[in-house]
Amino acid sequence: MTEYQARQLQFSGSGGEYFRIWIVNVCLSIVTLGVYSAWAKVKRNQYFYRHTTLAGASFDYHGDPKAILKGRVVAFLLFACYTLVGKFDQVAGSAILLVIIVAMPWLLMRSLRFRLHNTSYRGLRFAFHGSTGAAYFNFLLLPVLSALTLGLLWPLAQQRMARYTRENSTYGSEFFKFFAGSGAYYRIYFMTIFIGVLVFAGLMASVMLLGSKELIPVEADQLVAMSVLVASIGTYLALFLLAYPYVAARLQNLIWNNTQLGPHGFQAQLRAREMLGIMFGNVLLTLLTLGLYKPFADIRLARYRIEHVTLLTRGSIDDFVAGLQTNSSAAGDEMAEMFDFDIAL
Amino acid sequence: MWLTAVYYDGRQARPHPVTLCVEGDKLLLQGRDIVRREELNGLKIPPPLGSTPRLILFADGGRCEVADRQGFAEMLQDAGNSAVAGMENSWWYALAALLLTLSLLAVVYLFGLPYAARVVADRVPVYLLERMDNQFFASLDQTLLMPSKLAEERRHTLQDGLRRLVLPPGEDRPAHIEFRGSPTLGANAFALPGGSVLVLDDLVNLASNDQEILAVLAHEMGHVHEKHALRQMLQASVVGLAMAWYIGDVSSLLAVAPTVLLETRYSRDFERRADAFAAELLRGNGIPVSRLADILEKLEAAHQTAAPKQLAESVEALDYLSSHPNTEERIKRLRGL
Repeated sequence: MTEYQARQLQFSGSGGEYFRIWIVNVCLSIVTLGVYSAWAKVKRNQYFYRHTTLAGASFDYHGDPKAILKGRVVAFLLFACYTLVGKFDQVAGSAILLVIIVAMPWLLMRSLRFRLHNTSYRGLRFAFHGSTGAAYFNFLLLPVLSALTLGLLWPLAQQRMARYTRENSTYGSEFFKFFAGSGAYYRIYFMTIFIGVLVFAGLMASVMLLGSKELIPVEADQLVAMSVLVASIGTYLALFLLAYPYVAARLQNLIWNNTQLGPHGFQAQLRAREMLGIMFGNVLLTLLTLGLYKPFADIRLARYRIEHVTLLTRGSIDDFVAGLQTNSSAAGDEMAEMFDFDIAL
Repeated sequence: MWLTAVYYDGRQARPHPVTLCVEGDKLLLQGRDIVRREELNGLKIPPPLGSTPRLILFADGGRCEVADRQGFAEMLQDAGNSAVAGMENSWWYALAALLLTLSLLAVVYLFGLPYAARVVADRVPVYLLERMDNQFFASLDQTLLMPSKLAEERRHTLQDGLRRLVLPPGEDRPAHIEFRGSPTLGANAFALPGGSVLVLDDLVNLASNDQEILAVLAHEMGHVHEKHALRQMLQASVVGLAMAWYIGDVSSLLAVAPTVLLETRYSRDFERRADAFAAELLRGNGIPVSRLADILEKLEAAHQTAAPKQLAESVEALDYLSSHPNTEERIKRLRGL
């Protein structure tokens, strides 16, 4: 184990530099009635990928703007159809939604293919080889089952999805390997619930204490009801604000720490507290600046997420060789983005 | 002139430190165990992008990364340079783009969107709109809306009053009225997208005479006449969609909040036009326009006393505040007519 050598991912993008690129591209996208947005997306990805370096070499993005534009048009039409038709006719709206849901696993699979196929490092491409059948099992059947069991199966579903995406991904000709079991996923969610219970108990106890010493004006017979109410609202707010960054940070750590590429391993050390600070600050500043802080926010979050991942090399990383090339369309990628469907990669 | 670079052959991840130089129209690449001489025309040189390394892409998948951007630009004299890349590097262009973007958004929001909404609203088939109204009642009856407690006679009187109104040219039928009671919404009336007018019991009870109620109905008919509800809904959908797409990774909750704020402007304009419609209709029927001002004053008073309590009770109370702004201003204008 001692022969592992840690190589941290570096991110060299800056907010000011990205702001100029961003605003010029937003402007051109509006002037061209959205057509340029496909080119803007490629630029955006290239900016982030090329500023991400590992062991002296940067990543790169090769997506074809014309393919992305096609995907955007289809996605836009579908989404507009759904929102507008849904207002007039709930049945037709639901039918469109159903079509979208049924198509979603396929779209996600295509999206993964497009994204990975168009990502390169040191001149070698990544690729995704997952099958359609497995996509439907992991992205549709498992989530439906976890909904039917009131979320009890959700951690398991998440583990299967991560395994599907990891184990079907390649860099060059080398497959990624994934070791995390569903137990680790359940632990993260149990921890979240446990924290929720602690917050609830703490709040309830303090209200009871303050009330019994008559520090807050409550009738004695209403004290219990009052404390339950305060504790419920407090716990809800705490979980609403804290749970997402907490789970996001923990999941990313779990996934990376259990991923291997050939003989090399990964290590991620994101902290929920810091994630929360960044996400909260980003949302706040983006709202206060009417959206102008967005490019700075994107850079800040990207820097944090990228620089907390380390590649643990074992031996040389020069020996990867190219795999077979596959073509893929952008329709999936764009639609998955449009419908705000994201899977932690 | 020489430039140091790192070359990858596209078949293996191994980096080759190389030097580059230009000889006529050819690029010469030399490393310890590699030499390539390629036509410059056959190479792909992506435009510069911020401070990212410059790249040379070979047709066979080979790739050169050059950290020295200055040297690259000097040696390959704006190869791959584009107008957009120049703009992206300049703060002046960024500022110009920002101003242009803001003004374009403002123009789209103030003129483009309302225009598009009107064009679309005029083309939506009537049966779809009526279905929307039915859906509205189906989802809100028994929750927010209760059966009306008004006497059958009273309702008939009001409906007859409405039917007897002489309509302005171009308007072929009076609005279809639905009576409901609602403790949460209080005294209010709404024009629905399909042309129905929802009248709440409290409004009827609040009015001192039937002319005041007719005045309110005339105002709501103004909304129906110009399809305000539908246009507002279309505009709100587009703004909401754009917001959701833009904020994206934040949460949909945050995307909704600004939409509500943005939408008040339309309502104000729509209220003004509905008032004008009502004034014309009332005058044509010999009803003083001040009746509308009278009932508006009563509504304002009723809602101001009820508002603090309602705010805590339901979000719908907010709806009144946002969709009926500047009631005082409206009353003043109506009195002046």
